[in-house]
Amino acid sequence: MPSAVGSSSLEQVQHTLAQCLQRKDAAGAQVQLQKAKLILLQQNALVPNPDTPASQLKTARSMLEVGALLSIRTKDPESFVRYYSQLQPFYEYPGLQSAPSTKRSQITGLYLLLLLSQGDYAGFHTLLESLIVSEGISGNKSLEDDPYIKYPVDLERSLMEGSYDQVWRKTSGRDVPGEEFALFSEILVHTIRSEIASCAARSYPSLSIASAKNLLFLDSEGAVREFAQEQGWSLEEGRIYFPGLPDEKKGDEGDQKEVISHMVQYARDLESIV
Amino acid sequence: MSGDKSKKHNPSKSQDLRSKDNKSKPQKDAKKGKDKDGDEEMTVVMPPSKSTGADPNSDVTANGTSDEKEQEIIDPKVKASNDIKANVGLLERAVSQFDPRFTLRVLRSIPSIRKQLSADLLVRAITEIYTTPTPTSFALLKALSDEDTFPKAEADAWYKKKDGAQSTPQKSQTPPKDILPEVDVYFSILLQVYFYDTKNIESGAQFSEALIGHLRTLNRRTLDSLAARAYFYYSLFFEETAPLPPSPNAAVVSIRKELLDALRTATLRKDQDTQASVTTLLLRNYLSTSHITQADLLISHTQVPDSAANNQVARYLYYLGRIRAIQLSYSEAHDHLIGATRKAPTSYKASGFYQASTKLLIVVELLMGDIPDRAVFRQPSLEKSLAPYLQLVQAVSSGDVNGFQNLTAKYNATFRADNTYTLILRLRQNVIKTGIRMMSLSYARISLRDMCLRLGLDSEESAEYIVAKAIRDGVIEASLDHEHGFMKSKDVGDVYSSQEPFDAYSSRIRACLALHDESVKAMRFPMNQHRLELKNAQEARERERELAKEIVDGEMDEDDGPGGDFEGL
Repeated sequence: MPSAVGSSSLEQVQHTLAQCLQRKDAAGAQVQLQKAKLILLQQNALVPNPDTPASQLKTARSMLEVGALLSIRTKDPESFVRYYSQLQPFYEYPGLQSAPSTKRSQITGLYLLLLLSQGDYAGFHTLLESLIVSEGISGNKSLEDDPYIKYPVDLERSLMEGSYDQVWRKTSGRDVPGEEFALFSEILVHTIRSEIASCAARSYPSLSIASAKNLLFLDSEGAVREFAQEQGWSLEEGRIYFPGLPDEKKGDEGDQKEVISHMVQYARDLESIV
Repeated sequence: MSGDKSKKHNPSKSQDLRSKDNKSKPQKDAKKGKDKDGDEEMTVVMPPSKSTGADPNSDVTANGTSDEKEQEIIDPKVKASNDIKANVGLLERAVSQFDPRFTLRVLRSIPSIRKQLSADLLVRAITEIYTTPTPTSFALLKALSDEDTFPKAEADAWYKKKDGAQSTPQKSQTPPKDILPEVDVYFSILLQVYFYDTKNIESGAQFSEALIGHLRTLNRRTLDSLAARAYFYYSLFFEETAPLPPSPNAAVVSIRKELLDALRTATLRKDQDTQASVTTLLLRNYLSTSHITQADLLISHTQVPDSAANNQVARYLYYLGRIRAIQLSYSEAHDHLIGATRKAPTSYKASGFYQASTKLLIVVELLMGDIPDRAVFRQPSLEKSLAPYLQLVQAVSSGDVNGFQNLTAKYNATFRADNTYTLILRLRQNVIKTGIRMMSLSYARISLRDMCLRLGLDSEESAEYIVAKAIRDGVIEASLDHEHGFMKSKDVGDVYSSQEPFDAYSSRIRACLALHDESVKAMRFPMNQHRLELKNAQEARERERELAKEIVDGEMDEDDGPGGDFEGL
């Protein structure tokens, strides 16, 4: 009896949740989501186990997916990671393999992007490796055809290569596969801007403000001035001069210390042999 | 298998009793007698390791020569069955002398017996060794009874004999020899090998499961290396059971719990053979379904014992290297993989492992920006399988971006099968970097447009950013001119005035010192040897003292006494 009541109220909650999402009422959706999770927990459906019917598990899965997307929209990465980890057992659960989720690649792509924006390249590649292996056996569509996965993978490749203009174009253009993905663009642009700044400081003797504006993807020359001040660059006659590298002399000293420490180490090792 | 029962049948404690039993066995009397001599010698005169080292050798030569003589007349099947019987003897000695080296020798003989294994041979050996039936021997025979070549007549005769033996009182015979659990497990491993070679995966898996359950009940240090082998085949059977590994619900996933249990038990019992072997099996298991995070966690929570067998260490290093490579810690991965390739057996039979680890090593070296030695590709066991990688290295070292793209497309399937595909995709940036370096060396000044064309990049802007990044990362010494769109190379300084030679020298010295340390660690120091030396020293000192005393007595000279003592020391 209670389960029947539970499922009917779950449907209700689902319905209101859908309405909230349509109105883009994030706060309301959160409330509904809390309710839904509570009901699912009572039905023992939040962790897949053989006793729970597959239909309920499917509902639980879609609820969690909605929650994951919602937390991206509310810019709450920690909650997204939580949802993502909760979803993993559902994706691997054999009972649900017959009805794979349509949102799986979207969620995975978002997670990849999150790792990328946090600079966690090791995690990124670890996940990517497992995706490629599982693609190899399932044999359906390849990763390169999946826009949600392709997007972060391409971004990472451009970032590592150093073609920052590609990153800029991808994050700002039509290539962004969904509105949730666009939320990361800001972080990524900020990342590449600081990367470009450090590259520029080493590679150009000086730079005109106009070209710096283009290089750094800034909107106005005023923004360039502000940015240059943040970085500690000197502005003279409409050109940016980068401060020279101060660490050369320090490097020499470090070398000497290193040589001495090496020699001491050799002496110690020799002594232990003889 | 009924483990506890067989345990009851074998009162596994009293070692003296067993060696007496061995001696009472008529057929091995001569050999055992010699062994006894050896034992006595060992305890009295010689330092133990030397005598045990020499003893098995003499044994081997004795066995070897007799076998060689037989070989001319007798077919290999008989030789195999003789070997099995000899191995049972070795196992008994391993237990009575508590020396794992005998067990290792038994395990080493498996490949040579392997080719001759058949249900017929196994049944014969079992019925001969198990003079009285034990639950284990029943289980062994039962497992074999589905085979086509199963000699029904023989088995029936054995069953009858056993019935007869039970009905007639045993007082007329010598008291039956107890079968050691080691021998039980040895036969079980032979059975596992047989099932695996005949591709009878299903019965192999079932049998192995029962065997593992049985092993869990036994706590004997002399079993360790055998148990490690049993786990190895156990895991192998499940790897070949459908559904196959890469899918998330593969059969291998189901044995993880068993393996983790085994790891815990082995660690608690300080069973280092099983511990090392199960750790590598678990890593392999995780990596086969690409659960890299779990594998990493396992590594961070466990450690492979120092005294693990070389092969296990090589495997462990290989898996560690793969995980680290995926996580982008290339220099760590490089260290591990160098260890793995150097420890890998170079014999023809194990070339698969050598190939796999070398492939991975090459890719990691490329990712680190190094170019592997050309000699690596010329080794006969590697030449053919490394051909795609050789082309890859050539493309990377010449900075040929287009050629690199074509190669990855052409050998896509090969690289995927080797599990190096994702790593190779990461190489693209290295190819570009090499290309930039080549251009920086060749031209004093080059326009970004030309660079873009040569590198096959999408746009001039990309080229500018990439070059800027290369400058920052220290790949080239150059500067950019944005307004005119060119790269100007700086003069290359003298390499010998830089830090470079010192670093190279230092890394070589470090390698030599590490080699020295490892070889010291690898030496085997005979137990109690120092006592002998001490004894000698003591005797010498006493002699000196006597001498000194005589001198003192004779001449009453005070200076001579301590002087003589000093000379003696």
